[in-house]
Parts: sequence; C-alpha cells; structure tokens
Amino acid sequence: MTLSTSPPGALDGALALVVELGLPVMSGVAEGLGDAGAEVVVLRDPRLAGSSDDVEAALAVALDPGRAPALVVLSLLAEATTALGPLDGVDLQAWRAGAADPIRIAMRVLTALGARMKPAGRGAILFLAPSLSLVGGAGMVALSTALEGQRGLMKSVARQWGASGVTVNWAAAAPRALSPHFDAADLAAKGDAVPIALGRRPDARTEIAGLAAWLAGPAGRGVTGATLMIDGGEWMVP
Amino acid sequence: MTAMDWTSTAGLLAGRVAIVTGASGGVGRGLARALALAGARVVVAARSPAGGAETVAQIEAEGGQGLFVATDVCDADAVRRTVEASVQAFGGLDIVVHNAASTLAKPTPLEDIDDALWAEQAGVSLDALHHLAHAALPHLRDTGRGRFLVLSSAQGQHGGAMNPAYTALKAAQRGFVKALAREWGPHDIVVNALAPAALTDAARTYLKADPERTREAMKSFPLGRMGDMRDDIGPAAVAMCSDLWRYVTGQTVNVDGGYYTAL
Repeated sequence: MTLSTSPPGALDGALALVVELGLPVMSGVAEGLGDAGAEVVVLRDPRLAGSSDDVEAALAVALDPGRAPALVVLSLLAEATTALGPLDGVDLQAWRAGAADPIRIAMRVLTALGARMKPAGRGAILFLAPSLSLVGGAGMVALSTALEGQRGLMKSVARQWGASGVTVNWAAAAPRALSPHFDAADLAAKGDAVPIALGRRPDARTEIAGLAAWLAGPAGRGVTGATLMIDGGEWMVP
Repeated sequence: MTAMDWTSTAGLLAGRVAIVTGASGGVGRGLARALALAGARVVVAARSPAGGAETVAQIEAEGGQGLFVATDVCDADAVRRTVEASVQAFGGLDIVVHNAASTLAKPTPLEDIDDALWAEQAGVSLDALHHLAHAALPHLRDTGRGRFLVLSSAQGQHGGAMNPAYTALKAAQRGFVKALAREWGPHDIVVNALAPAALTDAARTYLKADPERTREAMKSFPLGRMGDMRDDIGPAAVAMCSDLWRYVTGQTVNVDGGYYTAL
C-alpha cells in the first residue's frame, strides 16, 4: 500500500525537538516531522544521562535561550535498559543503570523542558517507546520496569502541568517498528486468528510522526496523560 | 460492615513460608498477620527491631508463627541473610511479599526531587526487588508454590500529581511484575502486584485532622471507607499467595474498595 505523509504544513514553522538517548529509534520520526513542516532539532547527547546541570547544558546546545519547542518527542533508553537476558544474570550495577536510571533521566529532562515550555503556555511532549512494557517480556525485566516507570512519571507530570497548557503523552509502538534490536527479543505474542488488526507494523515516518504532529496541533491539545497504542491494533489494551 | 471471618482462610497457606518486607508496622504488619492467620510461617523483615518484635508478638497472640529478621531491603547481603534465615528457621521459602516503602515518599514536586531523595526511594522500590528476586529464586523455582507479590499503588496507575517519584516507582514495579511473570512462568512461579488503599496510621492522622476532607475523600471509595490492613487488604494477599490464585500472574490487583476502576 502507499502511505501518505503527515499533512504538509501541520507543523509549519513550529520547532520540534527530538530527544534520543541510547537505542536509536527516532530517525524516521524526525524525518516525518520535517515532512510536516517543522523545524526539527535532534538532540543526542550523553549529558542527558547526567546531573540537572548536564541536562541543562545539553538542552542549551539544542535550544536558543527563551525559545520553547511546540513539540518534543522523547526516547530515553539507556544501553543497559535494552540489554536482553534473564534477571538472575543482571548484577546490581546493570540493574540500576537499566531499570532506575532511565526514570531519573526522564525526571531531569522533563524538569528542564518544563522550565522552557510552561512559560510559553503550550506545547506537547510525547514519549515514544516500545509497547512491550505494557505486556511484559521474558528477558526484559529492566526494560519493562524502566518504561513503566517513565510512563507513570508521564501521567504524574501531565497532571502537574495540565493547567499550564503543556500536554504530556505516551506512544507505545510496535517494538520491531522502532528498532531491529527487538528482532532478537522474546516478545510476547498475541494468540489470535488476527494477531495484528492492520496486519502490519506502523510506519515511523508517516504514522508515528503523524501522531506526534496531531498531538501538537489544535485537535490534540485536549489529550494529556494518555497512552496511545500505535501497534496496528495488536494488543488493544483496556 | 461485618467482621472478617478468618475461618474462611484457615489453612490456605498451611506449610508455606513467607517473607514480608516492611512488616514492622502499617500495611506490612497487616499482611504478615493475615498470612499467619492463613497458616503461613512468616519472616517479619524490617529495620525496626521494636516494630518487628511487636508484629511477631501479634502473630503469636493470634496463634501463628513469626520470626523477626532485621533487614535493610536496600542491602543485598542483608536480604540474602534474611532468605537464609527463613530457610534455616522454617525449612524453606515459598512466598515473598515486598511491601517496604521509603519513609521519604512524601509529596515532592518534580523540580524538587534531588539525587538523594531519588536514590533512597529507588533503592527501596527497585534495588530491593533485584535483591529479593536474586536471593529468593533458587527457593521459589519449580515447587509449584512460589509466589512473588509486590505492593504497588493506584498512584502508579492513575498518576498521582503531587508525588512524581513515588508514582513513577510504583508504576515501574508494575512493569517489573509483568515482565518477571513472563520470565518466571516456566518455573511455575506466580508474580503479581497488589495496589491497596489502606487506612494506615498516617492516613488516619491525615483524615482525622479535617472531617470535611474525610467526607470528600471517602467519595472516591464506592465502599465508603479505606481498608483495614489485616482484615481488608490481608485476605486478598492471602488468596493471591495461595493455590486459589495459582493461574493468575503478571497482574496488578487493586484492593482498594473500588477506588480505581479505570481498567
């Protein structure tokens, strides 16, 4: 089938910040946001995993002072988070790096983004993550723990910031649409005659970027704290 | 409201050995007493000797067997020693209930969460799960009776506005449970989370200070009250740790009087 791109001009002239740490999942999304007319800034900086000052320094490189993005798409997965293997083979250092640190990093990054976006009175933040944390997966305890922690944080911050006009949401995408890394993962499978309603994975450039663009537009401003499944109708979580 | 009929759970956990963390008071004490009333021998794992001893005394007064083992759940060696003490004193380990929570889990805005606060809360919530899972797995696997129960919170589901670190960590524990249930399923170990709404001493003090606030808060509970730690939260934990729930795994069960019904 032929896929159309996000509506041209949906993000015309808007500043879209793509933040990526660890596993590369964002290239298609960044391209798609550009297709929609956004000025796209991609931030991949190991300082995002550091202290609050480090995070501020990393953001300062990407954003001019006083300039707030209209849209931020985030993926914050440490290398240890995406390592595959049973929990009894994970030592404490790797566990902390894989399970707890991504939540701390998300807190620091959100704090820094909030300082810029809340005074602007609007903006959309979207976490992009593999959907596997919603169903769990053997060999992925740290990943599932970290992602669900970030997702809980997203809800809390959505409540805190709602009145400011900044929305915070979560896109749970089919893992193998995000990265070939998950080809090796023992992903939970949906036992059904039609395991994926659409029969295919989402396209990052058109469909995931399109979802992000919609959230940043007028029609998406009433959505916050939501978990949006973009897996072609695989899990249909309640 | 009728009194809990504990004869209905008598013997459900006979012959089982349980460790309950954070059992020197509050929800943990209620859970420890409930498991003991159902026949389990209970290791009361907590930092406070006085509180732990009181929990054991209450278990024994109710006809059960308990053992206090001083335990800092953030310390891997301490957790390992607690598991060994369970095996030595009671001959094995069947049930792990991780209830301990940070005393620093107070409402704190996102921008005020410093590294020390985060490390303390993450240690009790996540490091402890790592330690407990590592130490307990050799005893839980392949017996058909292995149960790993994590005390989570509805805040991790609906997103508590005032306490983002706590909310995130309680949500993270749900992710842990879902993944570990899949990983340990082949070992016949059941892994679940329980999200209680318990009338703890802290909750009682908070509500008592303002009757109007209490009336408003109770509107969130279809049953019109928060749960008693032993008699309302405890029986659900007993069932989840018994054979009655042996085919339920990877779930978060809200034991909260109907507070959270959004799933």
